Amino acid sequence: MSKKRNRSNRPRPDKPGPASSGSRTSDVPPPKEPSPAPLPVARAKLGKPLPPRAPLFWFGFEVPWAKLALARFVLFGLLAVDAFLQIRHAPRYGAGDFNVGHFPFLDGIAPGRAGYEVGQLLTTYLFALAALGVATRLVLPIAAAIYAWLYFGSQLDSYQHHYLVAILVAISCFVPWQRPPNAEPATPVRTWAVRLILVQLAIMYLWAAISKLDPTWTSGRTLGGQLTGSLRAAIDNTVGMQAASIAVIAVELVLAATIWLRPTWKIAAPLGLLFHLGIAQSGLEIGLFAYLMLGFYLLVIPDAFFVWLAETPPVRSIRTALHRITRATSWAAWAIALAAGLGIGALVRLEHGLSAAIAVSAIPVALAVHARLLGTSPGTVVAVAHLWALVLWLAADRVSAVSADYYKYWAGSQRRLGDVATAEYAYRKLVDVAPDLELGHYYLGRILTTDGRGDEGLEHLREAQRLEPGRARAWMVEARWLASQGKHADAVAKARQAAFAEPSNGEARTLLETLIANRPAAAGRLEDDLEKL
Amino acid sequence: MASSKLKSRSRSKPAPRPTPNDPIEWLFRAARAVGVLVKTWQGWLILVVIAAQLLLPLHYYTARRDLHDERFAWRMFSPIRMTECAVRATLDGAPLPLEREFHEAWIALARRGRFVVVEQMGARLCEKYAQKPVVFHLDCKYVGQPSQSFGGFNLCNVPLL
Repeated sequence: MSKKRNRSNRPRPDKPGPASSGSRTSDVPPPKEPSPAPLPVARAKLGKPLPPRAPLFWFGFEVPWAKLALARFVLFGLLAVDAFLQIRHAPRYGAGDFNVGHFPFLDGIAPGRAGYEVGQLLTTYLFALAALGVATRLVLPIAAAIYAWLYFGSQLDSYQHHYLVAILVAISCFVPWQRPPNAEPATPVRTWAVRLILVQLAIMYLWAAISKLDPTWTSGRTLGGQLTGSLRAAIDNTVGMQAASIAVIAVELVLAATIWLRPTWKIAAPLGLLFHLGIAQSGLEIGLFAYLMLGFYLLVIPDAFFVWLAETPPVRSIRTALHRITRATSWAAWAIALAAGLGIGALVRLEHGLSAAIAVSAIPVALAVHARLLGTSPGTVVAVAHLWALVLWLAADRVSAVSADYYKYWAGSQRRLGDVATAEYAYRKLVDVAPDLELGHYYLGRILTTDGRGDEGLEHLREAQRLEPGRARAWMVEARWLASQGKHADAVAKARQAAFAEPSNGEARTLLETLIANRPAAAGRLEDDLEKL
Repeated sequence: MASSKLKSRSRSKPAPRPTPNDPIEWLFRAARAVGVLVKTWQGWLILVVIAAQLLLPLHYYTARRDLHDERFAWRMFSPIRMTECAVRATLDGAPLPLEREFHEAWIALARRGRFVVVEQMGARLCEKYAQKPVVFHLDCKYVGQPSQSFGGFNLCNVPLL
């Protein structure tokens, strides 16, 4: 970054528009129709003028509106889905009233199970609103605060990529994500916060490379111990793990040097995209993080691509429709969205779906009050975004196993910690949510038969046997219960079915032999299958 | 060459301006940039983020007592991630089944050798069982390094591993 380039980037009041943004905009094709100099309008809305000697590296950094809009939709859309998928981990929060926060002062305010579930539902909703560019100045700080509370509140989440997301979401609160008045796809939007996001990524890559300057990494042992899947096979059959390990360090160093500088984006973009596509194929348990990183590389892809994309006929028609919605106002649409939102919340199968839907209704209500104070009606876009966010809850709930996992993990942890009543409640919810899952019926049957509610328990055990006829455990529990009721012949028959269903199960064979020998120990409690997992 | 130097001295001209690649000039420019940044809240925010992100990971290599704890250090997929510790606990000399006391996610963190988690577990057990001796043993295996053991003493008396 020489002084000369800085001077050329410095905006000049007498040269509005792309001409003031230096060589970067030279690759942007000229608009087909003359547009009324949108740049000063966009800039004028971005806050107070900065000091005269403000470093242009930060405060002269501009991205075309089309790039910012697409990055906003992709990044916050992914974050919304990722937040919802995290809900399956809620039952570990507050379990056994034990917690270790990332910082000791957070121990007292750490989220519990319900807090974590509701918190992630709220962040899902807020990120979905942000993806559509609705009230980003309001919803992003709230989402950043909730995300930080959920992450820093407990070391249960020690994933460094969630730490990165917490930082990037906080920085993104300062990005002007909403469309400046009259902005066209090529209109440059000045944003120091996007530059800071790129610098943050560069620092992360630098430290990640430094941490790998270790013989156990460079020898290939560490990478070889963590990689699975198709990428593992591809590396083993080509360059080998040692060369791949060294290449990872080299790639991270190159990305650290190039991702934050516009002239080197032509190196960073293909390299980073390939690198994170590779990580996505690695089999590492990092959820959607590899895709989120790919989303961040939208900021590094050359600007001209986004301007071209925005001017293609399909995208142009979408833009036109969106502009129409953005300009429209309607109390009727707002009221319908509010009511429908509550209905959708009731259909979400999570424990606090409806409560959270009521809570998030505060956002459209607040925006309607704001509009009323300004003497207008609430924007139709608010109604659309509210519905879109809640439909996202419902869709994510129905196409994923989050609800079933939530109740399964909750029930399992409570059962292991000795809270049988809560475990029974959670298994009942699991059976409601996932009636075709053997596990719910099995454990519910086991709890009920142990508690003297044999008839109901047997129903669930038999459902478990029907769902997984090749698994012995439900037959074994029934056999044991029958034995405890003095029905020896029936118990032997069930134990025989258990051994037949799963011939490799040693415990089933032992139970059968014990019952045949009529030993009282047969009624004893066998080791819990799940605890072995 | 020598004569030109003399000429310049005799005219008492200032020293030649450093080139843009001069490290000292870079330092001055950086200092000037920082000086301008601190005049705005945005600049302060930028400086705080960059300073924190450069220094926090450094803490891992210089001052962190528990090298199993890689939080905030950007050590993704590092060799330490593959550490496996066998965790045993005793209460008043008798083996203590940790799965009856703590969620399995905490036990998984203890198996990764995270001292602060084990210490907090110990503190919790000391409180719950009225200061009966609580002893944790961690036998940790590393990739490419010799194994190490930690603990073996009463955490109610010595709360840090």
